[in-house]
Amino acid sequence: MTQFIRRSLLPLVLALSSLAGVAQQPTTSRESDFLSRIRRLTVEGRRAGEGYWSPDGQSLVFQSEREPGNPFYQIYLMDMTTGDVSRVSPGMGKTTCSFINPQTGDVLFASTHHDPTSKQQQDDELKFRASGQERRYSWDYDPEMELYVRSTRTGTLRRLTNKRGYDAEASYSPDGQWIVFSSTRQAYERTLSAAEQKQLETDPSYFGEIYLMRADADGSGVKRLTNVAGYDGGPFFSPDGKRIIWRRFDERGVIADVWTMNIDGTDQRQITDFAAMSWAPYIHPSGRYIVFSSNKLGFENFEVFLVDIDGTKEPIRVTYSDGFDGLPVPSPDGTRLAWTSSRGGGREGQIYLAQWNHQHALDALAAAPPRQKATRGSGQ
Amino acid sequence: MTIRRIAHGMSLPRRLKPPLYGLVLGLSLSVAYAQTPTPATAPATRAYVETLASDKFAGREAGSTGERQAGDYIAAQLARIGVRPLPGRQDVFMSFEFTAGSKDGGSQLVMGNQRFTAPDDVVALSFSDDADVSAPAVFAGYGIVVPESQNFGYDSYATLDVKDKAVVVFRYFPEDADKETKSILARYSDLRYKALAARQRGAKALLVVTGPRSPNAGQTVPITFDTALAGSGIPAASISGKAAAALFGSRSLESVQKEFDTGNPHAAGFALEGVTVELATKLVRERRTARNVVAYLPATSPVTGVDKPWIVIGAHYDHLGLGRNGNSLAAAGDAGKPHVGADDNASGSAAVLAVAEGMARQKVRRRNLAVALWSAEELGLIGSSAFVNAPPIPVNEIAAYLNFDMVGRMQDNKLAVQATGSSATWASLIERANVAAGFNLALQPDPYQPTDVATFNQASVPSLNFTTGAHLDYHKPSDTADKINYEDLDRIAQFATVIATRLLESEQAPQFVKVEQSSQTANRTGVRVFTGTVPDYAADAKGLLLGGVIGGGPAEQAGLQKGDVIVEIAGQTIANIYDYTYALELLKIGEPVKVVYMRGTERRETTLTPAARR
Repeated sequence: MTQFIRRSLLPLVLALSSLAGVAQQPTTSRESDFLSRIRRLTVEGRRAGEGYWSPDGQSLVFQSEREPGNPFYQIYLMDMTTGDVSRVSPGMGKTTCSFINPQTGDVLFASTHHDPTSKQQQDDELKFRASGQERRYSWDYDPEMELYVRSTRTGTLRRLTNKRGYDAEASYSPDGQWIVFSSTRQAYERTLSAAEQKQLETDPSYFGEIYLMRADADGSGVKRLTNVAGYDGGPFFSPDGKRIIWRRFDERGVIADVWTMNIDGTDQRQITDFAAMSWAPYIHPSGRYIVFSSNKLGFENFEVFLVDIDGTKEPIRVTYSDGFDGLPVPSPDGTRLAWTSSRGGGREGQIYLAQWNHQHALDALAAAPPRQKATRGSGQ
Repeated sequence: MTIRRIAHGMSLPRRLKPPLYGLVLGLSLSVAYAQTPTPATAPATRAYVETLASDKFAGREAGSTGERQAGDYIAAQLARIGVRPLPGRQDVFMSFEFTAGSKDGGSQLVMGNQRFTAPDDVVALSFSDDADVSAPAVFAGYGIVVPESQNFGYDSYATLDVKDKAVVVFRYFPEDADKETKSILARYSDLRYKALAARQRGAKALLVVTGPRSPNAGQTVPITFDTALAGSGIPAASISGKAAAALFGSRSLESVQKEFDTGNPHAAGFALEGVTVELATKLVRERRTARNVVAYLPATSPVTGVDKPWIVIGAHYDHLGLGRNGNSLAAAGDAGKPHVGADDNASGSAAVLAVAEGMARQKVRRRNLAVALWSAEELGLIGSSAFVNAPPIPVNEIAAYLNFDMVGRMQDNKLAVQATGSSATWASLIERANVAAGFNLALQPDPYQPTDVATFNQASVPSLNFTTGAHLDYHKPSDTADKINYEDLDRIAQFATVIATRLLESEQAPQFVKVEQSSQTANRTGVRVFTGTVPDYAADAKGLLLGGVIGGGPAEQAGLQKGDVIVEIAGQTIANIYDYTYALELLKIGEPVKVVYMRGTERRETTLTPAARR
């Protein structure tokens, strides 16, 4: 899931002081036109993000740092009626990128808890923090990251992948039969050139590609869907299960855009073209449009945008607040939006929730001009 | 690999099972509230607000008839709801005394065969000690001493020995000085500060003259509202122009004043040769009685063995009355009108009643719920302090306190929850309750808020304050019931009811966390020093009684604690909070000073290093 770029970028983004570019305010829409009754959903803990809905909208799975002893994310499930929250992941090591199986309610996530050095890493990170130093946080694309699924019925935890390399950012198809995910496994499967080896040491995300496998898989039968240099990640299925949406970085890992493709990897289409970091796309359940986040308006000022499903129109800005707004996920009935924001203050994000004005989104898209070609620097 | 075609809308997703991982897996949950009790429903708040904020209660000033009637109304509502007097008490009223104002009780000044009397020619200052003294008179100009720390160089006493003398000074500050000089001198021209300066130099009495070149020339100083219970350690009075003329004899008061009005620091006072004054000061402090209204809903089962078996919810119901006590922000045209305080704090009172009503319907309550409506909050948290200082239930048995102050003006769904730093439990409780309530929450960890939540935090009770914040009608007669957002006020009451329900049901009481001063604050440099002391404004003590010390602050580091009485700091004797405030001006950031304090009957010393305040 797109999720993960948030981890790599958000804290960095928030750590930088407010160099945020002043947004060009479109005259047509304001935040309140799209979002009403905005409120902070997660309160407990240092940070939380990447909320994904159950199909009935009654639960939200998310990652949060909220228990003493572990400075890394763990996965939690919130009952949206009672507010009860329970941890789904083992509690040890790092986790990321959860998703609920639309059919079984089982929870998919990536975890490193099997890594025997997990406890040591936790203690080291806590010690580092206690020293008062500020880390320019960077997501490490831990090659120990593997996919797991927690059964809601039996409580058992099953390991789905078993390959060296970062396996994460996974989500289910609407029928719950398929999992699409991002992995850097190709970098560990073959002999790398000296240049590639250096690349792996400095930025392993470069090797990230999109893969597909059966939900009941045992680690075999994985199919690679992308084969372009640069980080491909954050894939989700379309509501009809026919296409996959994801974000593709350029080779330098600077510019990202939203793409869609068939679930066999064919017909890859670029949807956005801001020449900025546009990522974390998710398709509205109507299938009509995509919500995503981009730092088009300033390097650390991520905002949520909206674009039609084919990317024919110029994207429309949705959020208007300094700092980070990203990882938007509409509720299954399309009436609410959960996203991650730093608008509550501080450096860390929390999950926010608002009513989503679907009709205004359709109206705004209808009125939007055709997509402009990004003005890129030399070499493009 | 072939991709099976996924049919659109092929099957309805099964409803997810409720999350039971903790049960099934025996995983340790991070929270003590895994099971959700069925919360009671808080009823509507509108009738409460409209009644409390009606003109008939005339702004509910502490100790007034309106406050008394409002208290009666609240008591009747509590009785209707089924909330009863605390164990061992006959009714829900808990009276306490406070100083509501002062008047002269017959002061007089005698010089030889001339006698001047109150109220025409002598009026005790509002902070005067009652005394009868006889002393030679010394004139000390404006009686201003600028602390050395200001690097300004102005000391009316530089060339004078005033020990055992009656010091005569002008009111205000030099009239003709340049703006910059005035701005500095004005800061030290408060009569309390002048009295402190005189007292510290051994003066027996202070007489204040409003000079002929000043506003209010020749007038005595009206007794101002002052909630202090203690005098300033020196008899002090203002005298009329007539009395002043008698003091100065053949000298022209006007020409004397003119010399000082330039602001020239070398203008020197002088002994009034041959003049011995006999001054008798008598100040009658108007003691009034206000009432907290406190009741409770008993637990539905014996509380034996329950960890801290009390929860307290509260709000102050008093307000500013007709706004005569100096707290009013009314425009001139509105002065003297009832400050009905619909938001401040009929709204909070209504929320408390609504929560109590909801809880009364709750079938199971593991803990007792005390319901408190405080008075005299507007005068300095006096009511809640009276409760905590003479607690009808042991304070260490209170698991948590929820306060509501100004909760009726919600805009854009924004609710501030303050003092969240007082327990690690709050974040999870608030998160869970807000999933259904859906407020856009602003969380403020700082418990040192200007409302009754501070009182309970000082008493080490995990506390929360709910507020929708200040607005343009704050402390004005225009804070009326028609401007209250009742729909959202009801939601706040409902939200708090859910939190209160979980508090009543939980096995463990929340753990209190003493909020430390943030390092951010400590690192700031500023003109004012920070000592981390929290004065007890309701105290009747000679010296500064500490209502608490701020966690991590200089006072705490110096070993000071709640209940200590500071009597001297940096060589300055402290008779009351005002002395203390002035003494702070003398302190330098980072420079250790000696503090003398009383702990019980024991006189102790310590060293305190002031920090910078933001």
